[in-house]
Amino acid sequence: MLPDEILDQLSREFPCRELQIQQLSALYSLSLPSAPLLVAHGLTATGKTSIIRSYLALSGIPYAIINSRECITGRHLLERTVSSCLDALDEDEGGPIDRRPYARTENINALLVHLQRMLEGSGKFVLVFDGIDKQREIPPTLLPALARFGELIPNLSIILITTLALPYALHKPGVPHLHFSPYPRSSLLEILSLDPPKIFLEPPSLEQYPDYTLDAAAEDDAWLWNRFLGTVWDSLSKHAGRDLISFRNTSMRLWREFVRPIVEGQFGTRDFARLMVNRRHLFQGEDAILDRIISAPSQASLTQNGVLPTTPGKTVMKRKTIQHDLPYYSTHLLIAAYLASYNPSRTDTTYFMKHTDKRKNKRKVHTTHGVTKSKHRRIPRHLLTPSPFTLDRLLAIFRSLLEGPVPQVADLYTQIATLTSLRLLVRVGGVGSADPLDAGARWRVNFGWEWVRGLGRGVGIEVGEYLVGGVDG
Amino acid sequence: MEHQRCYIYSPLESEVRPSKRQRTNIVQPQNLLAERLQTFREAWSHQEKQIQTTLENADRTTQEKILDFIKVAAQPDPEDSTTIPTGLIIAGPSIASYGPYFERLGRRIKDGTDCAYLVLSSSESPNLKTLLKNLVQKATSRAAEDDDDELLPPGASSRNGPKLLNFDLGHLQGWQKRNRAQSIVIAIQDSEAFDSNVLVEMIDLFHSWLDRLPFVLLFGIATSAESFEDRLSGNSLRYLKGQKFDVTQSDEIIEKLFSATIASAHVSLRIGPNFSRRILDRQKDHVQNVQDFLDSLKYAYMAHFYANCTSIFLKDGISFTHSSPDAFEAVRNLPSFRRWVEDKLDSLETQEIRKLLDSDRYLFDKISQQLRSSQQVLSAINIAVAFLSNVRESLQITPSVPLSSLWIRAASGEMVESPLLRETMLSIKKIPSNKFLHLLSSLRNVQEDHFSLELDTYRTELEELVKNSTDSAPLRSQHDVRNDSLRTTVVAQKVLLSKHKAALSEQDKAYSELVGRFHDEIQDYFNTTFVDPQELFLSEILIYDPKLPHIEVFQPKPRFAIERALSTPHDYLGCNCCGSSGRDGEAALSATQPATALLYQLYLESGSLINVSDLWSAFNAIGGDEDSESKTMALFQRALAELKYLGLVKPSRKKVDHVAKMMWKGL
Repeated sequence: MLPDEILDQLSREFPCRELQIQQLSALYSLSLPSAPLLVAHGLTATGKTSIIRSYLALSGIPYAIINSRECITGRHLLERTVSSCLDALDEDEGGPIDRRPYARTENINALLVHLQRMLEGSGKFVLVFDGIDKQREIPPTLLPALARFGELIPNLSIILITTLALPYALHKPGVPHLHFSPYPRSSLLEILSLDPPKIFLEPPSLEQYPDYTLDAAAEDDAWLWNRFLGTVWDSLSKHAGRDLISFRNTSMRLWREFVRPIVEGQFGTRDFARLMVNRRHLFQGEDAILDRIISAPSQASLTQNGVLPTTPGKTVMKRKTIQHDLPYYSTHLLIAAYLASYNPSRTDTTYFMKHTDKRKNKRKVHTTHGVTKSKHRRIPRHLLTPSPFTLDRLLAIFRSLLEGPVPQVADLYTQIATLTSLRLLVRVGGVGSADPLDAGARWRVNFGWEWVRGLGRGVGIEVGEYLVGGVDG
Repeated sequence: MEHQRCYIYSPLESEVRPSKRQRTNIVQPQNLLAERLQTFREAWSHQEKQIQTTLENADRTTQEKILDFIKVAAQPDPEDSTTIPTGLIIAGPSIASYGPYFERLGRRIKDGTDCAYLVLSSSESPNLKTLLKNLVQKATSRAAEDDDDELLPPGASSRNGPKLLNFDLGHLQGWQKRNRAQSIVIAIQDSEAFDSNVLVEMIDLFHSWLDRLPFVLLFGIATSAESFEDRLSGNSLRYLKGQKFDVTQSDEIIEKLFSATIASAHVSLRIGPNFSRRILDRQKDHVQNVQDFLDSLKYAYMAHFYANCTSIFLKDGISFTHSSPDAFEAVRNLPSFRRWVEDKLDSLETQEIRKLLDSDRYLFDKISQQLRSSQQVLSAINIAVAFLSNVRESLQITPSVPLSSLWIRAASGEMVESPLLRETMLSIKKIPSNKFLHLLSSLRNVQEDHFSLELDTYRTELEELVKNSTDSAPLRSQHDVRNDSLRTTVVAQKVLLSKHKAALSEQDKAYSELVGRFHDEIQDYFNTTFVDPQELFLSEILIYDPKLPHIEVFQPKPRFAIERALSTPHDYLGCNCCGSSGRDGEAALSATQPATALLYQLYLESGSLINVSDLWSAFNAIGGDEDSESKTMALFQRALAELKYLGLVKPSRKKVDHVAKMMWKGL
């Protein structure tokens, strides 16, 4: 393919990236000599990998791309490099290469030797390391060594794809950098408007609306989608999730909700202003920009019964830390753990000692307020990080919370271990020893005030009454 | 021999072997063990079948949903090829039952679809590399290799060029090429216990391979989907897309299992009320775990057939020649046998008693006859409980009492007088006709041979009445509150309230008569059926009730045992020297106790920081020997070292000559 044709095709496929594509074609062409090293950098979703991959595929230069996401260790990267180079050369030269000498690639020296042997006498070869800055367990000398491979193997050029520029990590001056700048608003709109989604999932029947042809529908789709994109960008994506993928996801999440009145026949397809006013609540919440595993069905069901909430429904999401009920003693253990984490241990005698008289050890909430309103403000304890406690303290508080005696059965320890593997309790000290119930170990809770309050109310304990300093609200 | 450094010890060969001191000809307590084992196996296999069907029914709906999800996910969706299909399985906090659950799920997935199913648990995945190694190994079922060797043996590799490292997903790709599985379902069994970083990296990696390997992820979650999402990074959330599946709560499953195993009408060995209450309480308070419940039940069966030699009579079709005289002797010593004989004595059946005591043959016949009738009585109780629970359910009496607690009440013989039953009977009296119809139709399911009520006649009569009634409102019985009205009369400035029955229509009268008949018949039925099972003849053979073996096996008290051994060593040693002092509860310190126990009691009396020198002088004062202080010191040091080994004391950083107290008694 001629260089101009390549440029044309790529520009059609990747709009708004003309500059980068031209630079690539200047640096890597079959006939002209290439730079031994290039750093292509840019933020996420700016087309680095796809453009380089497509360009190399079109240009006819043999190449191999190694994705660092798939390499678990540095050694793994080296092994994969050698095998993908071999695969690429196999394909290029048509015949299988004798692979026996390349059995093991333990280190960077071996890689160099293998590449030298492989590329001896063959033409130009491009090696692309994608996301090399994210490589796990990378040896510290790998990047500087790769930067110098071009000096030792004249027909090899290396492209490193990274998020940020690598001015110092390579220890080599004068490395050409190719910047993939983030798309501005106009480019984003241009790219996304290439493929507008449909307003009507099932096109309206031709008998009923004979004028509304498919072409007209497509025109309407594009018109509305364009306007809609601009609104989404200005109201939501400008502030959070500015990259192409987040923007697209946000728009796609809102689109079906947005066009629902049109589908139901409430508004016409070009009635953008009224549609906007009707659906403004969509752009006021933040649900659309959050990624979730389970796509929120709540909105669909909310609007299903015809009642369209005009204000952003302050749907306080019920955040439960656990869905199923816990056993009785586990609940008490968790409450005791919370108290042990948030009460200083010196106050334990006041709060949890079993007095001889029947007065409860609770204290009135809010008593300290007004009396000791000192100059320096105290942060409420439940907003601070939990402090670690020992196991015996947890058990002691646990016993004082319960009315009757509890047998010292091993089931209690099993429950502590279970709660630990649920990450509701976290072990912080004594990591060295294998015994999880070691007396020296220290523990911390891993849940918040709201939840423990609900938990306490479930078993008839008002946790706030036992908490030092009380809790407002 | 002193000049030799080592030598071979050769004991003197004696001519005569020491005579064995075993008693060989005495009764073996374990006679007929093999037969009893066999009986146990038969009884338990019956139960196991019940359990399996119950469990499979319990999670059928959820598992079928998951299966459908996987089937849908297996079809590649061109629009949505960038996300991994993900199922979040909310399985509740009983993590011990995850293993069997995912195993059942896996079996179903393998049977129902053409997918590969691999389970990963947190213990085998401390980091990404090990996780992948395990994954590859499980998929390709390769024999485990040395972990250090990341490559195949060099001899094999040098001939064939580069080999994949053993955590490379390329192995999986090759395997997939050969097997062409529709999708690779990977179940993360206990997602909470995984390190978040490992999960994030794993998802990232799987996503990057998604174009070559069709992954489907299933996460077992104990807490909730929201807290699971909170643990992942935004990027990984973008890679996942799926559904949430709720698993049946374990207390519901336990309830179902209870009615299928313990409260079922057809079991050979019954479980007593005390034992049942114990395991149910344990479920509620401590574990919530189906597996534990089944283990307890199985252990009860085992204990009964192993330790009780009369259990041989539970064997199906046992003949007289198979049973041993010891078993009959044991039966003659049973309390229920004695009670029975005494009853017979009161009615002057001495001939009979003589025969029972003398003739094994006669006793055998009696036993097999009585066992059968007792079994029937017990089954009738279970059916009556199911009936009662059904009645309560269809009348919607609050609070709803689960079948298990009804059953426990019935099995301990407290049902007849209980307020629960009275309440139910009263609501039956008041029942309006529409509910009555509903009740009759729902009771059809319970009806079995032991049941004498003619439900169908009631039904036809009722339908007749309803047909004749002109009003659309349901018929009401005379006890219905709506037929009562209060009349207030003011006499000499005093308000008198008087109840007044509204006049009943003809139909209502007839209906009241019908309901009254029904009520009386049910009342009779309950009164005759709910007998105390403990008073049945041979209840010891039919019912297993001791709690202690269960407590010892399933609920040990390790810490309590150590504390007790140290604070009152007499309980374990049983020696004469320190026994008398421990009579009045508080064990006194005495020099005869072991040094560690002595020191521990001193330890209990001190505060959280203990001065070792003080401890020593106290120890010396009690256990000391004037002439040899060094010996006492040695004892003291050893005792202190033992306390340290037990984790009771730790050297303190605050003060050099002090030790810190680490554990308090009774926690």
